Amino acid sequence: MRRIESKIDTASEEFRLNWKHNRGLADALKARHHAARRERPARDLERLSRQNKMFVRDRIELLLDPGTPFLELSTLAANTEYGGEVPGAGIVSGIGIVEGREVIIHADDASVKGGAWYPLSVKKIVRTLDIAIENRLPVVHLCDSAGGFLPLQADLFADRYLAGRIFRNQSILSKLGVQQVAIVLGHCTAGGAYIPALSEYSVIVRGTGAIFLGGPPLVKAATGEDVTVDDLGGADVHTRISGTADYPATSEAQAIAIARELVGQTQRPTKLNVERIAPEPPHYDPDELYGVIPRDIKVQFDVRELIARLVDGSRFHEYQPAYGTTLVCGFAHIWGFKVGILGNNGVLFNDSSLKGAHFMQLCNQSRVPMIFLQNITGYMVGRDYEHRGITKDGAKMIMAVSGSEVPKITVICNGSFGAGNYGMAGRAFDPRFLFMWPQSQISVMGAEQAANVLADIKIRQLSREGKSLSPAEIAAIREPILDEYRRQQSAYYSTSHLWDDGILDPTDTRNALAMTISVALNAPIDRPHYGVFRM
Amino acid sequence: MQHTFVIGETEHEGFLSRRGDGYVLHVGETAIPIALTDAERGAQLLHLGAESSRVLIAPDGDLVHVHIDGMTFTVRYVDPVRRYGSQAGAAAEDVAEAPMPGVVIALHVKEGQSVTAGETLMVIESMKLETAIKAWRDGAVAAVHVGVGQTFQRGAPLLELAPA
Repeated sequence: MRRIESKIDTASEEFRLNWKHNRGLADALKARHHAARRERPARDLERLSRQNKMFVRDRIELLLDPGTPFLELSTLAANTEYGGEVPGAGIVSGIGIVEGREVIIHADDASVKGGAWYPLSVKKIVRTLDIAIENRLPVVHLCDSAGGFLPLQADLFADRYLAGRIFRNQSILSKLGVQQVAIVLGHCTAGGAYIPALSEYSVIVRGTGAIFLGGPPLVKAATGEDVTVDDLGGADVHTRISGTADYPATSEAQAIAIARELVGQTQRPTKLNVERIAPEPPHYDPDELYGVIPRDIKVQFDVRELIARLVDGSRFHEYQPAYGTTLVCGFAHIWGFKVGILGNNGVLFNDSSLKGAHFMQLCNQSRVPMIFLQNITGYMVGRDYEHRGITKDGAKMIMAVSGSEVPKITVICNGSFGAGNYGMAGRAFDPRFLFMWPQSQISVMGAEQAANVLADIKIRQLSREGKSLSPAEIAAIREPILDEYRRQQSAYYSTSHLWDDGILDPTDTRNALAMTISVALNAPIDRPHYGVFRM
Repeated sequence: MQHTFVIGETEHEGFLSRRGDGYVLHVGETAIPIALTDAERGAQLLHLGAESSRVLIAPDGDLVHVHIDGMTFTVRYVDPVRRYGSQAGAAAEDVAEAPMPGVVIALHVKEGQSVTAGETLMVIESMKLETAIKAWRDGAVAAVHVGVGQTFQRGAPLLELAPA
């Protein structure tokens, strides 16, 4: 495999301005990550220490093997919702190493509204367990939740992918033989009580941990019975009398030590056998990514410049280098793992769509995980392209991406607009993981285009009534649409709603890809097979 | 196909093949058993046929620095696809064709003007994307086929450089 020859002039003014801009965005992202992880009102932290409970971040640190990486997911969930008062949706989710094994962690953050589950908290837990199912990842639950946030119960309870799905997913994991360990560090009330009950193993801390369907006030209201927390569902009740939990612990630290021992007994998965060679750092410094990404999303750039800063030795075997050139396809290694890469280099035409569908079949045939680097404004429109079947060629890509058996991982590097998002393994197409870069944007069409379309409709409506609009009136229609679009197409809005698994600093992408490829190989895959490709 | 290495200024061809537990070095028609074993102080012993020499080896990307018999050599691996590709010597194109249908939004050069490789000649817009058409080599602008505001189809000639 040959090294990509970068054409970027790192001494140019353009590079320097891009670097400064994108580095600024990465710094802002870090600051927001820090705030969501660590910054809490003093009274919430005081309440935790009064209750003799550790902060969720300290619990996770104690659980993980020291010096190993922790890939946190959806750190900024709910950042645009609930008045910004529920950082991380009150849940910590991430992949880490415990006793040398890859696990996924779901941890309730009791420093946020007592660990209450908001609608997006439920979505985040369900997603965490979906990841566990798709990648056969053992789960450690750190339970400490006040239960569902009752004022918003209609948005978190009854529908297919709402709270019930957490327990359905737990049951499916167990059926698949993927083990779960629950540590009860606070209250597990109502639905939350089923988390330890549905785990293979559970540990409960004496004094602070409790499991019950209804807490003492609810029991009092329902039946008039007076009962204390401990007597209703404390550690001794469940480990000696009811058998709902397995191991009593005298402290949080002891509970975590027991959980580590339990994880250490889980069977190591047999990883999918994909080619792996000795890893090599990229020849071009990933830090240069900041200088490669243009400041204006409309400005086109060569996706090979991104690939050169993500893959081992910056080496890339490009497939069909002269055909369908707006989609760059080829093979490379990331931390030694062989991958197939599909990266956009402009609008998808008929030929680039066919190339993409064909390349996905090649990756499936040779069992190579696929990495999608999205920077796509869509499929080409216009009479010529429709006559040549641009829609059915896009459909071929969608058929191939949906039918793929090999793991897919998607990074939205810049724009993700319209059907291009579909053909390039958007969220709906079950990539095992999907990440965004801070400056990236996602929406059904560009803000300008949407504002123009909607203004046009209004103008035509009025002209049928014999009225016309002044430029000021047209602007008054366009501006609010533009504002709303800009807000909703930002990466922060996407990540707030769990349309992705988190925003990545571009320079962290290589490591995140390696960790996610590694866990993706835990799940067995079927032989390649697809639906009907419209020829 | 043999591997190609450049040592100093000279190209050398060779290939390693496995034989039994070890390797054989093929150079031209000769095949010599070859092995590398660890020696003291980070050095290694290179066994070539019946002879053994003390060597220090330092890899550096595509280069390997080798110190042997009091001399240092830099060995560079030559990628065969690149090596045989460059011999074909395709002539550089003179015309920039539109990569997609669109409209010209900026024109930075006039006919007759000298340009250097990488310089932005024209910016086009299509499907919400701005694409800079850059000089693909040094040269003089021979013709500008489309002006600002003008639309064009995919494959239409945009600019021409005078033949090099």
